[in-house]
Amino acid sequence: MTPFQRWKRRMLKHLRLMESWVIFFLLGLIMMNYPFIHIFNKNVEVFGFPLLFLYLMGGWAVSICVIYLFTKAMEDNNHKEERH
Amino acid sequence: MSVGLETVVGVSLLYVILLFLVAYYAHVKGEQGQSIVSNPYIYSLSIAVYCTSWTFYGSVGKAATTGLDFILIYLGPSLTAFSWWLILRKIIRICKENNITSIADFLSSRYGKSQWLGALITVIAILGIIPYVALQLKAVSTTFLIICGNQHIHFPKEIIGQDVALHSGFIAALVLSIFGIIFGARSLRSSERHEGLVAAIALESIVKLVTFLIVGIFVTFFLFDGFTDIFSRLKAQQTVYDHLTTLGGEGESDYANWLTMLFLSMSGIMLLPRQFHIMVIENSSEEHIKEAMWRFPAYLFAINLFVIPIAFGGILSTGSTKGADYFVLTLPLLSGHSWIALLAFLGGFSAAAGMIMTESVAVSTMFLNHLVMPIVVRLTPRSWFPLLLINLKRFGIFLVVFLGYAYNLMLGDTYTLVNMGLISFAAAAQFVPAMLGGLYWRRGNKAGAISGILCGFLVWFYSLLLPSFIISGWWKTDILEKGPFGMALLKPTELFGLSGLDIWTNSLFWSMFFNAGCYLFCSIALRQGDKERDQVRKFVDVFRPKGEEPRWETKRLSKPVTVMQFVTLLAKFTGEPQAYAAIGEYLGNREIDEKGGVSEFELPNLKRFVEKTLAGSVGAAAAGAIVESYLSDVGSKMEPFYDIFSSVRTSLEESSEALYVRLKASEIMNRSLDLRIIMEDLLELLNKEFKFDLAVIRTVDSTGALRVQSFKGIEVDVILGNTIVPEVDSYIGEAFLTNKAQFVNDARNITKAYTQAILARQNFSSFAHIPIAREGEPATGILSVFSINIVGLFTEQFLDLLASLAGQLAQAVKIVEEREAREQERKEKEKALLETARVTRDMELAKQIQHSLLPDAPPSIPGIELASRCIPATHIGGDYYDYFPRSPEIIDFVIADVSGHSVGAALIMVETRSVLRAQVMTTSSTGNIIKQLNALLYEDLSRAELFISMFYAKYDARDRTLSYSSAGHNQPLLYRHCERSCEELDAEGMILGVKPDVEFEEKRLEMAPGDVLLLYTDGITEAENEAGEMFGTERLMAALKREVDGDATAIVEGIYREVRSFTRIEIQTDDISVVVLKVLL
Repeated sequence: MTPFQRWKRRMLKHLRLMESWVIFFLLGLIMMNYPFIHIFNKNVEVFGFPLLFLYLMGGWAVSICVIYLFTKAMEDNNHKEERH
Repeated sequence: MSVGLETVVGVSLLYVILLFLVAYYAHVKGEQGQSIVSNPYIYSLSIAVYCTSWTFYGSVGKAATTGLDFILIYLGPSLTAFSWWLILRKIIRICKENNITSIADFLSSRYGKSQWLGALITVIAILGIIPYVALQLKAVSTTFLIICGNQHIHFPKEIIGQDVALHSGFIAALVLSIFGIIFGARSLRSSERHEGLVAAIALESIVKLVTFLIVGIFVTFFLFDGFTDIFSRLKAQQTVYDHLTTLGGEGESDYANWLTMLFLSMSGIMLLPRQFHIMVIENSSEEHIKEAMWRFPAYLFAINLFVIPIAFGGILSTGSTKGADYFVLTLPLLSGHSWIALLAFLGGFSAAAGMIMTESVAVSTMFLNHLVMPIVVRLTPRSWFPLLLINLKRFGIFLVVFLGYAYNLMLGDTYTLVNMGLISFAAAAQFVPAMLGGLYWRRGNKAGAISGILCGFLVWFYSLLLPSFIISGWWKTDILEKGPFGMALLKPTELFGLSGLDIWTNSLFWSMFFNAGCYLFCSIALRQGDKERDQVRKFVDVFRPKGEEPRWETKRLSKPVTVMQFVTLLAKFTGEPQAYAAIGEYLGNREIDEKGGVSEFELPNLKRFVEKTLAGSVGAAAAGAIVESYLSDVGSKMEPFYDIFSSVRTSLEESSEALYVRLKASEIMNRSLDLRIIMEDLLELLNKEFKFDLAVIRTVDSTGALRVQSFKGIEVDVILGNTIVPEVDSYIGEAFLTNKAQFVNDARNITKAYTQAILARQNFSSFAHIPIAREGEPATGILSVFSINIVGLFTEQFLDLLASLAGQLAQAVKIVEEREAREQERKEKEKALLETARVTRDMELAKQIQHSLLPDAPPSIPGIELASRCIPATHIGGDYYDYFPRSPEIIDFVIADVSGHSVGAALIMVETRSVLRAQVMTTSSTGNIIKQLNALLYEDLSRAELFISMFYAKYDARDRTLSYSSAGHNQPLLYRHCERSCEELDAEGMILGVKPDVEFEEKRLEMAPGDVLLLYTDGITEAENEAGEMFGTERLMAALKREVDGDATAIVEGIYREVRSFTRIEIQTDDISVVVLKVLL
């Protein structure tokens, strides 16, 4: 088992916890709110995109990926339960 | 540039027909059980009904006017997806298990099936949804106008085609409501899924996403040169650009507004009636949530990707933000790509149609169940009710759509699309406290929910809906500026002087403040009703595994209702076939008695099932009301059992009272061994603890009848006076015969005539007969308890307790019986032992007497030595020897052995002795003596079935002659001194007792000095050693030869010693008798 696989497995295990769900939910709420938003509320462009636009769309995409990982972790768990 | 009216109408018509076909196909497939919508893809797509024309057109409008905050309407739902596996799954589970039909049904069910709450939520939903529906219709009619050639959409009042606009909106409303009726109101069962509707929604979701992406790509990459090109071009208009890409200014109000939008969208995603309907009611598997959790946010992400480019592109192309709501449509039109515009129109139409159809179905269900039903349930059910109800539901769909249409006509033009949608969101947000509290907070109660939602709703109405009327100019007043009656504190948009906030934040803050405040306060301050508590368990503990908490039934129906009665009731609301199917499924393998009823403890469950089934059609609140009013019509009602344990226990653990009684009872059983005392004390305990008026113990007697053993309480002759032969015509008989407790909780419902006759003379309200039986054994008695006043005394739990006490009593009875049986046995054994001892003593005595009958010492005769010995066995025997001196020189001697070792043998021996003694002197011939003896004894011997072997000899010392006769006796040994050898003496003769007349040979021989004659019984030759060998004649001869040199006594002792050393056994089994005659040298 490579270190990466080990890491992946450990992460999947953590993601199965309900607490992780709540933490990520709250984290998402906080990240998308004042005062976090205030940090990115600037007249700056990154790669030609307005910073806030990039932050919001990027954060959003990340949150979707995290949920995706969550559901995968859950399926993994289900399979394991079936095997037992 | 525009698209022709005919083309637009034609394409729209084709599209609607396509929707119909898809919906119909899905519906048919669903009916066949091959659902095409029951999968996570369709589920995720159908949730995207969230994206209405507000999304399709309004997002761009909002992005073009206020910038990035449009994104919040989609970011919020995206974030809630994290919680779906927790919250949404719980809601879905609850709804499936309780046949819940809508969000109003959900909340009213949770809070004690309150009809008021259901109605309140329905009113809020309808009022809240009207602007939203209006918005959709407005979008359809406006875009229709635009695409047909009128681009002056910012002056809609002045356009020439006013009648066309009206037409298109009206037609859209009509078509969509018909669609809703066909696929959303096919049957009354609103808790079932509408596969056709879902399929259409999913298709529309695909269409709106694809068309929007097409427009986005077209604008971004064809009209402009990608994202960065649009941004850099707009940057030339610095102020506009800054305003749109950042949150304007540094004010807190913007951030507050940000939070408000996020909160509104987060509550909207699950609590808007259509979202609740699609996500919860139409959900077919909890597993689908998992997929939808990321697919739906991804859908939102995709549909919002091009909002900013389109909005900015629109500003760049048209030079202003006017008509920004319809940039999606106008940009392709302006650039001459009318087919893209047509696609966009279809996308927008899809978005609007999906929303209207789902919303109208969801809200019409609520309308029927929570506004119409409360009235209907007060009427007597009729057979045409199902028809009426389904049509009322269809009417509800029309009502919702056309109220929206009316709202649109009256004040649709003043607000932008987003603003109208937000009003609905703010209304749905009023359900948040009651919803979350309902799912996780046990204390949350009906009063809290109603007051909270009502207050929140009033604030919402005052601070949001009312201003929307005023702003639209529909109501001319200066309340907005000066406040009602000039009270500035009460200005709707700056309530209680809270200025500086936008209208949404202001409204949301105050409505949530009052809503959550009232909910919390009332929930804490006021108690929950019984019904509410029941429901709390079903909601909050829905994931608790079944069976973990075996519930004791705490309710009973005061008058039993049969299954058929319930079926009839069900049929009136759901139709007959459905009613029979439902009940059939429920009954399954449950027991039904001969009268078509179920057991008393099952009845409340049946009632709940009927309620649940009805709830699937009419909502939980109405279903509860229907069943209750029906029960009261037949004179029955659900009431709690009499609370014998002073608190209604629903959990596994027993109440302390029950434990106390058990403890006391076992103390009673252990304290005494007297059954009478045990029974009396037990009855005393029962009467004292449970307030019985009479408690009786009967046990079955030897004739099989139940006889009163003990009783406590009032003396009732009709009950105590008679001995009952157990038969099924009485409850007590049935209890005894079936070995199952029989009880009557309300004597008015008694059906057994025998019992009726008894109760006619003594008034009891409830009673129970509990068989006294040990586990797995037939009953040995009956414990009966009676109460005069208390109705509904016997719960399952209580009967269990009584049965366990009766079981304990049976155990005690058994123990006492066993103890008595043991005592009896012991006594008998003792008696037998005594008897044996007596017999043994008698036998011992008899043995001694018998022994004393043998001669003490032989007489002395000159020239010979005589010696004899009898060593008796442990028991009495039949050996005998004797001497009869005839003269100083002549002596007779005899040895005999009576067969057997019985007392009979001993008696015969005694008789033989007497007879022989009398006979000896009458004749001198040995043969004659034995012959006479045989004749005399024959009868006695044959009667006793005994025989005697005998050897009789006569010795004459004068000539040393020995004459002898033998009656089958062991042949004596004669040792000849001169020859130093042994010979056996034999004479013809049969043993005595075989024949009455036998001749005995008499032999004579002469003895020489030193000769020894040895007479013996078979005790010597048949003595056995451990190996089972017999002593035998050979050994006897050898022993005799060894011992001949001693005197007669020594010979006797020697032989005995030899026998003893051979057998090596202390206990000899037979008498050993030896007589020795030695002729002196």
